[in-house]
Amino acid sequence: MQIFDSYVSESSFDEVYDDADNIRECWKNIVNNIENAGLELLEEKQKEIDWHLEDNGVTYNIYNDNDRPANRRWGLDPIPFVIAEDEWKTITKGLQQRAKLLNLIFKDLYSEQKLIKENIVPAEVIFGHKGFSTEVFNFGYKENFNLYFCAVDIARGPDGKMWVISDKTQAPSGLAYTIENRLTMNVISNDLYPDVSIKRLSSFVEDYKDMLKHLAGGDMSTAALLTPGPHNETYFEHAYLSSFLEINMVQGQDLLTKNGSLWLKSLSGLKKINTLLRRVDDRFCDPLELRNDSRLGVAGLIESMRENNLNMANPIGSAVMENIGLNPFMNKIAQYFLKEDLILPQIATWWCGQKKELDYVIANISTLIIKKIDRTEHIDIYFGKKLSPSEQENLIRLLKLYPHQYVAQEEVSFSTVPYYEDGKVEPRNAVIRTFSLRKNDDYTVMNGGLVRMSASKDNLLVSSNGGISKDLWILGDDSSNINPTHTLKYTPYAETSIDKVSTLKAENLFWLGRYLSRSIATTRLILHVIKKITNFYRYEVVTSKESQRIIQNALTHMTMTYPGFMDTTNQKNLDVFPMVEITSVIKDKRSGSLALTMDMLSNTNINLKDFMTLESWKLFEKVQKEWYEFISRKADSTIIVATELDKFLIYLMAYKQLVYESVFREQGFILYEIGFQIEDALLLISKAKSMLCIKLDKSVGHDVLEGMLNSLESFNAYRAHYRSSLALDTVLEFLVLNKQFPKSITYIADNLLKEFKLLPKAKKELTSYEKAIIQAQLLLESMDLKILLKTKEEDGVYLELDKILSQLSDLFLECSNEFSNTYFSHYDE
Amino acid sequence: MIYNVYHKTAFEYQSNVTFSHNLARLKPKVTSYQKLLAFTMEVSPTPFESFEYLDMFGNTNTHMLIREPHQSLSVIGKSTVEVLPDIIDEHVNSIKTNSTTYGDALKRLSKFNMNDLYAKQYLFESELIPYGSLKIKEYALMSFQENRDVFEAANEFMTRIFNDFEFLSGFSDITTPVEQIFEAKKGVCQDFAQFAISALRTIGLPTKYMSGYIETLPAEGQKKLFGTDASHAWFAVYIPNAGWMEFDPTNNIIPREQHILLGSGRDYNDISPLKGVVFSSGNSNLSVMVDVRKEELISEKTIAQEESQIKIITTQEQNQSQSQ
Repeated sequence: MQIFDSYVSESSFDEVYDDADNIRECWKNIVNNIENAGLELLEEKQKEIDWHLEDNGVTYNIYNDNDRPANRRWGLDPIPFVIAEDEWKTITKGLQQRAKLLNLIFKDLYSEQKLIKENIVPAEVIFGHKGFSTEVFNFGYKENFNLYFCAVDIARGPDGKMWVISDKTQAPSGLAYTIENRLTMNVISNDLYPDVSIKRLSSFVEDYKDMLKHLAGGDMSTAALLTPGPHNETYFEHAYLSSFLEINMVQGQDLLTKNGSLWLKSLSGLKKINTLLRRVDDRFCDPLELRNDSRLGVAGLIESMRENNLNMANPIGSAVMENIGLNPFMNKIAQYFLKEDLILPQIATWWCGQKKELDYVIANISTLIIKKIDRTEHIDIYFGKKLSPSEQENLIRLLKLYPHQYVAQEEVSFSTVPYYEDGKVEPRNAVIRTFSLRKNDDYTVMNGGLVRMSASKDNLLVSSNGGISKDLWILGDDSSNINPTHTLKYTPYAETSIDKVSTLKAENLFWLGRYLSRSIATTRLILHVIKKITNFYRYEVVTSKESQRIIQNALTHMTMTYPGFMDTTNQKNLDVFPMVEITSVIKDKRSGSLALTMDMLSNTNINLKDFMTLESWKLFEKVQKEWYEFISRKADSTIIVATELDKFLIYLMAYKQLVYESVFREQGFILYEIGFQIEDALLLISKAKSMLCIKLDKSVGHDVLEGMLNSLESFNAYRAHYRSSLALDTVLEFLVLNKQFPKSITYIADNLLKEFKLLPKAKKELTSYEKAIIQAQLLLESMDLKILLKTKEEDGVYLELDKILSQLSDLFLECSNEFSNTYFSHYDE
Repeated sequence: MIYNVYHKTAFEYQSNVTFSHNLARLKPKVTSYQKLLAFTMEVSPTPFESFEYLDMFGNTNTHMLIREPHQSLSVIGKSTVEVLPDIIDEHVNSIKTNSTTYGDALKRLSKFNMNDLYAKQYLFESELIPYGSLKIKEYALMSFQENRDVFEAANEFMTRIFNDFEFLSGFSDITTPVEQIFEAKKGVCQDFAQFAISALRTIGLPTKYMSGYIETLPAEGQKKLFGTDASHAWFAVYIPNAGWMEFDPTNNIIPREQHILLGSGRDYNDISPLKGVVFSSGNSNLSVMVDVRKEELISEKTIAQEESQIKIITTQEQNQSQSQ
């Protein structure tokens, strides 16, 4: 014995050692295995675990001060938490009983309210809790209004029994982390714990699928998991669960309600959803009836439940049971409903709404922990012994003012388990999250769970914000038949046909194309303008001042950052210090700026998270980090700005390539392409309008034409094609009319018409967005450059050319709008 | 007493709305002292579908989905309501007889009593009405001494609000915090109601928000113009052993024959006459027009005529505040 020699627990109960310092039976194998392996192997296994978790992208988002989520890695200890088979049987019974009770409470509170009427539970404990949803009043009578899935946190008390700490009933998290922990442990346990046999998790996942399938009436395509979206702290889990449970993952914006039912918007139209696995909290689910500032829900969701057209797991209203105020009455409730005593003990809890209890709490405040019964808005916990006399007085004043809202609990020391860190094994307090699922009018409990540990040795509080976790092992042979198709395996969810692509994803793909094109074009033009400025004196030609002004104006026009370089009140400053305006177009969050375009690009990128490969994620994270550093810096020299933009441009091109490799055609890659090309066309036309429609003398004209081609990265292509010096008519021919050059307007128009035919709503007759492009084609065909460029000397502008370009621009915009209406709005379906 | 009530709520949107879910609560509540003789609701544009249900507070909700492109939505509730002052008188007398002292009321509320159970949902903070500060509590306790009869105390409390607070429209809206109203001592009917509710809940008495209308009379010799009324708000306090008692602090009266109840709840959010969720860019404006008059004074025909004359006034009136 070496490793465990230094393991000394000060807790009143240790999981491994009994009071006589003997190793408990169920831990013997594990402790032996660890001693045999030695610290070096343990460290190696820890590294292996870390690598697997990172490789699988297991994260837990924590919001930092800038409101930007920082992905935090999930930590898993190589030493499991072990429970013997017999003890687990008792615990399972206790958890089943508790789930059954919670369901009975749930149904009663939203129907007859016998618990209140017969004085089993004080009305104040329910009505004073913000989780009680008056909106689902009387829904308890509905057959499908049940608690389908719940989590109960338990920990071992000083008496050696497992105690209930708290109940999670509205949208419990942790299941996916539990599964991932187990899969990761499987990798190392063959080496580390070769002779330990444990219960498996797969039957619970199968039961979960069966439950959803039953609710959905047999067709899983009518069920969906509702996530708050990629910004949510447990988004990883939502994506993971939707894959395991084989259901669609959707956001509020993917859905709408009509006919008193819920519908999923997809590229091919609306599809009815009859079962929702909900990961959005109660109050955020329906902006019509619940919180109207929420964008995470769907207006009319409650009405769909009211009309009996929607099953929800768990139904809205279940937050009321996340209520420690119920604890003191749980035994009475168990007697009332089941004529049984509670199997699992709870921490002694006093509800302050009763005079006797309040007096007791005030008298013993130094030894108690005071909590609010309602945790829907804040989690307020006061440790009596840590409060100063004046703080205690304040707390007592609060208790007297609003006694109904508070409970006091005994401070209990929970058991310790061994935890590996920095080359040694130490005791830590731990809490176990268990999961129960409704099955045939009863509940089934997962043979495992998520163990979370306190962050430091002295810290008794176990945080729910990620941190270090353990796998829970129930010893014993698994008697359940293992169907080879039922093994747990994680495969990222992928759309199988373009018809099924959700509208939200489709819209994001379209805009990803548009924003990416816009970022690239804007960066290139800005770079060109900067190079123009820095090379101003290089060629000893004074005329370039005029071409510089024209290109600067083109930048203002293209980005629509008006008044920009056209600000007549500020012309002098703009002439002398053009970098001030350019820097602002790059860094300021103003309409049309590169910074804002980049924000929008980030947003669409996040919304497409599950489509993208890990590589493109890593790249984008790097781009974002360096970009924000750059734009938050002040007073960069012109050269530095140009260097940064050069780098940024290369990043964007790399990202573009990764998008091309990540997104499959079936997932709607074509939408991205369409968006990209429409934006390309619009920006090219805008530049052509400001740079190619002005009549210029030869040297200035040459400068501007070169600028036009360079900003499209097309100078070499032009020279290869024309082998002639720069001339306005050939540049126009190249960029507007050429049928072979992929960046020309004509090429884009032809290509768009081809791609439109591949979409789900392509029709035999022409759609409105096709019509716009066909009109553009006709306009392009009618263009005769010789006539268009014939202009009277005094005009200075090619008016006819400008007019046609404006018409083309309008037609591409119309195409974009009509396209959005056809595929993304659904209002008339 | 029979009243005809006309209550029009309209949203004007900056840009086209193609899809909107709306919830209307315009059907007056039926109580022991108020009968609903007739009710119709006119919605434009015509809803694609609508559902009606009773909520937990006994108010009728109408859920409407509108699916055609529109830039304005108007919902008009027309009700004929009979108010029964004799029954109200009986009720008030019974309350006076059965009312208890403030001390006894608190004692009884701290224990289980079948009759008090459903009043207890009006004992807590709600979205718009938080508990009051110590100052508000002290202000309320000046009327509520332990041995004081709750009815007497509440009546005096109403009168004090009437005297201490100045009626001033434009100072506040529905979201103005109670503390700010108390500090400034001015506001409109909904502010006085919310202040009273906050104060009485803070001292432990269940109190609910009453929403409805009050009949106003034109100056002597003048004809009453159509649409010049407004929504009204007052409060009701629960007196254990006696029941719910209504008070109107804006007018310093106990509602009798001039008050018409639309609905009641924990606060305005439970009974706002019309709310909606739209998919659109840009802002929306809300305008409200209310007309209340005794039945014999008006016929349907004159409503239509006068409505067209009054159009200019209503488009200028674009905030949600109830200004009675």
